[in-house]
Amino acid sequence: MTLWSGTLMVMVYRQLKRFIRARSRVVGSIVNPLIWLGLFGIGWSSFFRGRLLPGLPNGASYLGFLAPGVVIMSTFIGGFIAGITVIWDKEFGFLKELLVAPASRAAGIVGRAIGDALSATLQGAIVLVGAIFLVSGLNPLGAPLALLAAFLTSLVFTGLGILVALKISSMEGFHLLVSLIMMPVMFLSDIFYPLGPLPSWMKAIAMMNPLTYAVDLARAGLAGAGEISPEISLVALIMISIVLLAADAKVFEKTTIS
Amino acid sequence: MDEEEVGEDFNNPRLRELGVDRATMPTAVEARELSRRFGDLTAVDHVSFEVGEGEIFGFLGPNGAGKTTTINMLITLLKPNDGTARVAGYDVVREPDQVRKRIGVVFQDPSSDRELTGYENLWIHGMIYGVPRSELAARIRKLLEFVELWDWRNVLMKRYSGGMIRRLEIARGLLHDPSILFMDEPTIGLDPQTRTKLWEYTIDVRRERGTTIFLTTHYMEEAERLCDRVAIIDHGRILALDKPSNLVKSMGGDVIYVKLLNGSSELLVSKLMERGVLLDHRPAGSTLMLRVFDAPTVMPIIFDIANFLGIKISEVSYRRPTLEDVFLYYTGRSLRDSEADWRETARVRARRGMRR
Ligand SMILES: Nc1ncnc2c1ncn2[C@@H]1O[C@H](COP(=O)(O)OP(=O)(O)OP(=O)(O)O)[C@@H](O)[C@H]1O
Ligand SMILES: [Mg+2]
Repeated sequence: MTLWSGTLMVMVYRQLKRFIRARSRVVGSIVNPLIWLGLFGIGWSSFFRGRLLPGLPNGASYLGFLAPGVVIMSTFIGGFIAGITVIWDKEFGFLKELLVAPASRAAGIVGRAIGDALSATLQGAIVLVGAIFLVSGLNPLGAPLALLAAFLTSLVFTGLGILVALKISSMEGFHLLVSLIMMPVMFLSDIFYPLGPLPSWMKAIAMMNPLTYAVDLARAGLAGAGEISPEISLVALIMISIVLLAADAKVFEKTTIS
Repeated sequence: MDEEEVGEDFNNPRLRELGVDRATMPTAVEARELSRRFGDLTAVDHVSFEVGEGEIFGFLGPNGAGKTTTINMLITLLKPNDGTARVAGYDVVREPDQVRKRIGVVFQDPSSDRELTGYENLWIHGMIYGVPRSELAARIRKLLEFVELWDWRNVLMKRYSGGMIRRLEIARGLLHDPSILFMDEPTIGLDPQTRTKLWEYTIDVRRERGTTIFLTTHYMEEAERLCDRVAIIDHGRILALDKPSNLVKSMGGDVIYVKLLNGSSELLVSKLMERGVLLDHRPAGSTLMLRVFDAPTVMPIIFDIANFLGIKISEVSYRRPTLEDVFLYYTGRSLRDSEADWRETARVRARRGMRR
């Protein structure tokens, strides 16, 4: 095994280890989406019951529409937060240990991203299983496609989180950033509502949001109701994640302690 | 090593024990006019020095002297604005990867992953330094036993005490068998017992592996006990560099500390100069430091002159010079100042550790 792959693998290992150890965070990250689904989803689907929903296929329940969105939402949150925790590594010094090592920095940071993405996907998978049990009408055969969408989501947003964390210099920005980025990204996507009826400006922004493609892909699998062709979504997500990981590697290569 | 040995022979006993002399040692670290600025502040100001292979070399300086900045340049984390440095024969700017392979680092602040166990931290380190997998487990065990943490190997590091973290990080710094180990204030904030323990480890490392050790400290005792040679650094400049015993010897005679209740210390000094009893003098905080040949003969003269000038003396003391006096002489900062400083640092650090 080369130093490159060894570094990559050990960073994947580290992130998974940390994820599994942080039990309360894991439980929270699973319970939270299930609350969205169980309370928010049931609330709105009772309101919508018996009505024709614009933008949804005839007879589709709102809960069935929301479920794939919530699966992706949980991986989005998990992935982005995990990426952002690079700030903690800065603050608590572990980053220095990586910077002073002869290992490839690109391998280190990409390994970290993959480890975080796998953790977030695991989280999404648990939410997915919960959703399939709780929501009637979801197609379990669509689970692999939904999982792929979840993995790509977490790769994209871990990559973004890492980039942001490497760029901002202090912990202070952390909470501001999280609240400033997370909510709009979720509401400017098709997690909660179909794109069809949206005002055109909102739709235009949503079409630039990777989350939209991921949710649509998962929805195509689980509910058979995507608005975008799955091939386009797949290609878009893969390309965005490659670009972001490359950017992470590039920024990290140049990082010095300030 | 005990104090007596230093007293009888000003040549460092451990260097003699190794049968080497600095002049004949190959060079492990070489800095030439190394400088680093942060905005208007010159943190490291054209510093030059050499460290021989197998030497324990210390940077002794108060807070903000530029110790960490120098280390950061030597370990390739910070680019110098000026000057060059070679570590293990490689240029730190042009060949950072070669340097990185050959050095171990114990940072001033903890740099382990607190959410992982000690063993896991070492394992990760071994992997990112390319330690062969077949040897890794054995090496980890050997080092954990060396720093007496084998029984703690499966405990999360957030449960470790400050001293345990230090020991683990020393083990980590040695895991890939570096030829030079950098330790930035290795014993800061630790209790005296743990500190003594770390000194023992350090000496053992050099003896067993021949590792060159570059450390920074602001503890006199640490510099005196541990270092073959010491550079006193302040405001980014090296003010003196020699064996601790030679630094002490260079002070000549005795030192007297005088604290005045009223009156001008300049006047007192100028009168003493006229009498030809002063070798040198320095202000040291609110106290005056006087270097003289023989304190017992000079003390009455001081009182006479003060009396004559109407100056009231509130405190006076004298002693044979120690490294502390050398430090004070060059930096003008008393140990009490710098101790208050490190307590501050330790407090800041404790707060940092809790913020999670
Ligand atoms: N990244 C930075 N930006 C601005 N100023 C800095 C930076 N790093 C260090 N300094 C300043 O450079 C000077 C030297 O700092 P350095 O950390 O090297 O001191 P030190 O000898 O290690 O002190 P300490 O005992 O506090 O660790 C200090 O005045 C410090 O405030
Ligand atoms: Mg320092």
